[in-house]
Amino acid sequence: MLQQRCFHCHEPVPASTDFRCEVFAETQVFCCAGCQAVAETIVAQGLSDYYKFRSKAASKANAVPAELQAQLNSYDSAEVLQDLTQSVGDAQRIELSINGMSCAACAWLIERQLQQNKAVQRVSVNSGTARCELIWDAKTAPLSQILGQISELGYQASPFVADVEEQHFQQELNAYLKRLAVSGIMTMQVMMLAFGLYFGEFTGIEAQYEGYLRWVSLLMTLPVMAYAALPFSRSAWRALKARQLNMDVPITLALYYTFIASLYATVFDTGEVYFESVCMFVFLLQLGKFFEFRARKQARDATSNLLKVMPVSATLWDGEHGTATSARRLQCGDHILVKAGETIPADGLVESGVSSVDESMLTGEYKAISKQAGDLVLAGSMNHDGILVVQVRSALTESRLGQIIALQQQTLHQKPAILEKTDRIARFFVQRLLVIATFTFCAWYFWIDADRAFWVTLSVLVATCPCALSLATPTAVTCALAQLNRKGILIKNQHVLDVLPKLSKIFFDKTGTLTQGRFSLTDVQIFTPLYDKDQLLNLMANLEQQSEHPIARAFGPYFVQALPLEQVSLTVGAGLSALYQQQALRIGRPDFCGLDPQDKRLAGVQVCFTINGDLAATVQLADQLRPEVTTLIPALLKRQLKLAILTGDGSAAAPAVAQQLHIDELWQGCSPEQKVSAIQKSVQAGETVVMVGDGINDSPCFHAAHVSVALDSGTELSKNQADVVLLHNDLQQLQTLIDGARRAHRVVRQNLWWAAGYNLVIIPLAVCGFVSPYVAVIGMSCSSLLVVSNSLRLLKA
Amino acid sequence: MSIIYVLIPIAVIFVMIGIAVFFWAVRSKQFDDLDKEGFSILFNEKPASTTPPADSTPPSREP
Repeated sequence: MLQQRCFHCHEPVPASTDFRCEVFAETQVFCCAGCQAVAETIVAQGLSDYYKFRSKAASKANAVPAELQAQLNSYDSAEVLQDLTQSVGDAQRIELSINGMSCAACAWLIERQLQQNKAVQRVSVNSGTARCELIWDAKTAPLSQILGQISELGYQASPFVADVEEQHFQQELNAYLKRLAVSGIMTMQVMMLAFGLYFGEFTGIEAQYEGYLRWVSLLMTLPVMAYAALPFSRSAWRALKARQLNMDVPITLALYYTFIASLYATVFDTGEVYFESVCMFVFLLQLGKFFEFRARKQARDATSNLLKVMPVSATLWDGEHGTATSARRLQCGDHILVKAGETIPADGLVESGVSSVDESMLTGEYKAISKQAGDLVLAGSMNHDGILVVQVRSALTESRLGQIIALQQQTLHQKPAILEKTDRIARFFVQRLLVIATFTFCAWYFWIDADRAFWVTLSVLVATCPCALSLATPTAVTCALAQLNRKGILIKNQHVLDVLPKLSKIFFDKTGTLTQGRFSLTDVQIFTPLYDKDQLLNLMANLEQQSEHPIARAFGPYFVQALPLEQVSLTVGAGLSALYQQQALRIGRPDFCGLDPQDKRLAGVQVCFTINGDLAATVQLADQLRPEVTTLIPALLKRQLKLAILTGDGSAAAPAVAQQLHIDELWQGCSPEQKVSAIQKSVQAGETVVMVGDGINDSPCFHAAHVSVALDSGTELSKNQADVVLLHNDLQQLQTLIDGARRAHRVVRQNLWWAAGYNLVIIPLAVCGFVSPYVAVIGMSCSSLLVVSNSLRLLKA
Repeated sequence: MSIIYVLIPIAVIFVMIGIAVFFWAVRSKQFDDLDKEGFSILFNEKPASTTPPADSTPPSREP
């Protein structure tokens, strides 16, 4: 039978469901009530064009639960709004981060939906970064109404505060674009005029026209030198002031020397002009830098939702009523109410209530911890199933979460430094080049032919112009970044490719990195003849669907069909019960199900399932290894890399994983500080270290290692801080990354050899005056072209 | 050939205009999201009157 697919999200439609809606005068089927509701909204608002033009299926829309609406309402508090928005005249400006966007059509959909709200003055959705800039009148429409409108379309929007660094990146990118435009457009003009001059050279040109064309070229080159080439001269000047030499020094030197020589030739009507070379050189260098910068910015944007982990709102509790407030304004001694499914907004002591809390973001430990009166809860952890009243012990900035973020900021500046290779080469090369140029000028001026001294020196400088040398690394790096990007590996720091070929040791976090970081069913035993295994699992999944507990989520994949359950009730920290076809069902801990814990059928079992009091099934759960890890680790060991596990988990599970994977080095039960010091020890021992992790507790040691890698399934904070993010959550890509870096390294070396070899041949000829400046320009362009096309090979790899 | 004394300055003026327009486009954030701008041409610009169905009669559908 042909499997029907949901019109909205393209996921298979489960049997025995019937969700329909009229789109484009045809009846379409949907997989769930959520998708159906979204499609109805889209059609009702006259936005069905979305379905015509979208390039990717939408993500599955879940029906908006009542709690979510309550959470949205908490954003309407004046205090919360004040922390999140800026005033623009009468209106408020806010930035939203939007989950669930898959293509540019989604951006259009959201914009259209919000524009229909009269309170909205301006809305602009960026499909690349999944951000939305919104200016609206908070007095006529509360923020929750607008967020609600977005969630009607099946997207989740949450307020977001971009960090300063990010705004700086955007300005920088715009500056790059402008410089690129100036140098590109001017290059075209000057090149056109240069062709006139080239032809004039062969067929003869009247002196007045030649002079005129030169003056116009000069005029057009001026903005390129004064504006587009500014970053190079600034960087060179900074280097010189610090008594250093970097790659920008010879670039600037060549640019200014060529420009001034051409200026001299134009003003005094003698010699040759090279305005087109100047413009072209600036344009090519800018182009490489622009692409590299844009790739890095995209990688950053995709992962920089740092403030999303910081709880935004809190509910103050006076014993009877809750009032919404901003989490940042909580003070020691305040009482707060934390409902099920909410993030705990501050460190504190539980006053009343029982719940299980997920602290995995902070500790890496995925097992929910049950909390009751008197227990300590941490800001940033997730409250699963009960309602807690908490007395605040410390403000958000002094909480454990705040401390980890502060630790991470400290380690930021302790990143092990690796001198950039091109800078080393530049230093070596520039010194000698300057010596040779000076020597040539003096030799020709004083001994050989004083008239030709200036032009011979020019051809030495042009011929040895570090074009090829300076393009060698950036072009290769840009191509490698683009290629790895396409494979789902985001690289945010350029030095990654420089460091990885020297890699000698990899640290892995255990929970969530080597393992899946969630429970999955490892063993299911059936003790009833009434149902077969699939039916039982579906029944259990139906029950567990009512709970947010991590154990309950392990049953999610077994949910096939919705069953009519009655009188579902949840006992926090124990289990669930319900009525199904007049049978009493219970699922949970053995004592909750009324079973004898000594029963030998229950050995090692976490979850029991009873029907009318009789044991029907037992389930064992564990955090399993990621499937690719078992092939990845031997492959890495074969590469002679040292491997180590660094985990906050103090239980016996850690040695078991280490043994299973044949990893000898194991650091167990580490706090974030201990993790940092473990890595720093390795770095001091001379290793080149990569850290692979996913949790907030891993992020401080990201800066201690040479290169840090995070998985896309990791916390936002870790993705924000990592140098590399693996988008497909596939650790196997670690190998792709290492291979890619090695390939890039090889191409860079080839490029450098070529550029240096060419210079070695041409310098003696130029010094002796055999190379006319025209030949020098041709040689320079050819060697640059060769370098660029060699780098382009990386794109195909 | 003396026509180039007129034509080239005119070309220079056009280049200046081109660069000015580009700068304006960058400033008005048209380059922030290239995907979306490319899509915008595909969608019908629906006049605002059709959208809130309550306060105006929906226009008749084209056959």
